Amino acid sequence: MSSIDDSLAVRIIKGHMNTTGRAIIWVVVLGIVAWAGYALLGSQPASPTGDTETATSTPISAEPIKIGFMGPLSGDAAVYGEPFRNMVDLAINEINAAGGINGAQLTPIYEDAKCNGKDGANAAQKLINADGVKVIIGGFCSSESLAAIPIAEAGQVVLFSPGSSSPDLTGKSRFYSRDYPSDATQGKVLADAAYNIKKWKNVVMIQEQSDYPLGIYNAFSSSFEPLGGKKVAKEEFPTTTTDFRSMLTKLKAMKPDALFINTQTPANAERILKQLKDLKWMPRIIVNDALSGDPKTVETNKTVLEGALAAEFGVDLNNAKFQSMTMAYKTKYGVDVPYQSYAQTEYDAVYIIRDALLAVGNDGAKITDWLKTVKDWDGASGKVTIGADGDRVGGHVLKIIKAGKTELYAMPTAAPATSTKQ
Amino acid sequence: MDIVPQLIANSIIAGATYALITLGFNLIYGTTKFFNLAHGVVAAAGAYAVFALTKVFSIPINIIFACAIGIVFAGFLGWALDRMIFMPLRKRKASNMVLMVASLGAFTAIQASIALFFTSQFQTLETDIMGSRAYEIFGAVITQTQVIIIVCGLVVITLLGLIAKYTLFGKAVSAIRDDEEVARIVGINTDRIIGKVFFIGSAIAGLTGILIGFDTGIEPTMGMNLLLKGTIAAIIGGVGSLYGGFLGAFVLGFAENFGIWKISGEWKDAIAFVVLIVFLLLRPQGIVKK
Repeated sequence: MSSIDDSLAVRIIKGHMNTTGRAIIWVVVLGIVAWAGYALLGSQPASPTGDTETATSTPISAEPIKIGFMGPLSGDAAVYGEPFRNMVDLAINEINAAGGINGAQLTPIYEDAKCNGKDGANAAQKLINADGVKVIIGGFCSSESLAAIPIAEAGQVVLFSPGSSSPDLTGKSRFYSRDYPSDATQGKVLADAAYNIKKWKNVVMIQEQSDYPLGIYNAFSSSFEPLGGKKVAKEEFPTTTTDFRSMLTKLKAMKPDALFINTQTPANAERILKQLKDLKWMPRIIVNDALSGDPKTVETNKTVLEGALAAEFGVDLNNAKFQSMTMAYKTKYGVDVPYQSYAQTEYDAVYIIRDALLAVGNDGAKITDWLKTVKDWDGASGKVTIGADGDRVGGHVLKIIKAGKTELYAMPTAAPATSTKQ
Repeated sequence: MDIVPQLIANSIIAGATYALITLGFNLIYGTTKFFNLAHGVVAAAGAYAVFALTKVFSIPINIIFACAIGIVFAGFLGWALDRMIFMPLRKRKASNMVLMVASLGAFTAIQASIALFFTSQFQTLETDIMGSRAYEIFGAVITQTQVIIIVCGLVVITLLGLIAKYTLFGKAVSAIRDDEEVARIVGINTDRIIGKVFFIGSAIAGLTGILIGFDTGIEPTMGMNLLLKGTIAAIIGGVGSLYGGFLGAFVLGFAENFGIWKISGEWKDAIAFVVLIVFLLLRPQGIVKK
């Protein structure tokens, strides 16, 4: 270390580089950096604002309309984000092929929000300030949406989410709405089923530290405890955890009636299920719809998950629009559409935005107010109605996992009672 | 307290995993004196090699044989990194900081390549042959894979200890460890010895990655977490010290798993870092002084 100090000192003395000389060089460098920064940033917003001005002043225009997208395109949650992007792409292509918005084509801009608040905020910043979009479809994860809301509000840009379900998002902002229901109903349906149907009094939870699982915990415990259930004991873990053994050991020692596995993504749920098996603990299980909605994980873990309860926002396989959507997806991408309960709302979200653009033009404030007037809109996810608080009206139904498949829960007493749950 | 046996078992399993990654890391650090951050991703590469053989191409080979290929592959990857990146830098008298940044670059590049080839999805190496059996000792359940992890930890440290003490290679390594230039002057081919050290250390990392793949599953990003725990264990135990790292790993394993006995599991990583800070403040040289 001392040799470096020596040589530096020697160089400074030998070069007669006094402090003013160095200061001048620094000022010059700073000037160049500032100029370069101005040239880059100053020129960038010029074209987007030009676009949006023409689009707002004259809605009937052949200028393309930019539509923002934010969702998780990398990481564990990319399993949702990639089909989400595909679905948006599919719907936008359909709309463009049918003539777009009065002749104007829709141009999607995809940003990776990585299922967390930090990248959600970055994605929103980029879409709003650099690309100048007026409508963003997303975020997908609740954390993304929560972080993007203040930015969207400041820029008067619509956030329309087809996947974020945290109850914390309800009525959060004038500029936020969703065609996916809040998890408040998911937690409530599960609490009700656990206490009243299964007679479970003591439910413990292993929960990932993230907004979506936290929302479900809050909804579940706030319904379960007033019913008479024991206070829900939970073990939380950060997303990067891979070793759950000691947490599960603690929960097992509480001798619960059931274990609620509440993760953000199927990957962590799969690790937990494997370690349950390793610990030779076969509890009765409640899962959230992140797990029950993932056919692959449900299938590979069918022995552990047999009889597990879930509450999903269901799909109506007999709906003609849903059928044509799944067919179009299969034709375009060669695979069956995964996570159907999200797929249907993703597809509908694009079409609802199309109708909004047709009705009020590409104006953030007008679109967001228009969205709250959507009533009985006919889509792949059934009749969509969005309330004044921005939430989709309607909710989750009770499901059960049987032989590696998530299916509707058949009430033990009366046979066709499932329809009354909705 | 009926959960104590299981907590002890969990601590030993975690400790053995950390020990394996630390042993390879310490071996390389002790000889070259730089923090080889690429060590974590070499472990992931070994696991993915086995994954590719058994699950992607489903080549009908014995699982043990596939693991052996994975271990050798990881060893060669480490050796190649030394030949292509670290050795040229050493020749140019690059500082340890430069070597560390270079290893971080290698880490990122290899991790991204793994994600490109195998997607970033969570996978498991588990097959029907391994991991299905479980044993019960004093009320603690432990699986066959976990027993293998513990046995591997013990075997590796014994072998390394024997090699260091009784072979010419071991003596050459300790000569380089003391002073590389003097070692070269007395006629030791230091480049070759360091290359071998990289091979052995990386092969141990590959073994660790594979065992973790069977135990908790694999992901391209698994390396960073693993490396972090490995370096914490190394610092607790004494950086560059063979037995110190081994001890440090078990101290870390017990601290993490018993630390969350009475408080929530979300504090597990925090506990690891608190232990690290305590050691850095009170005993920076680690448990075993080199």
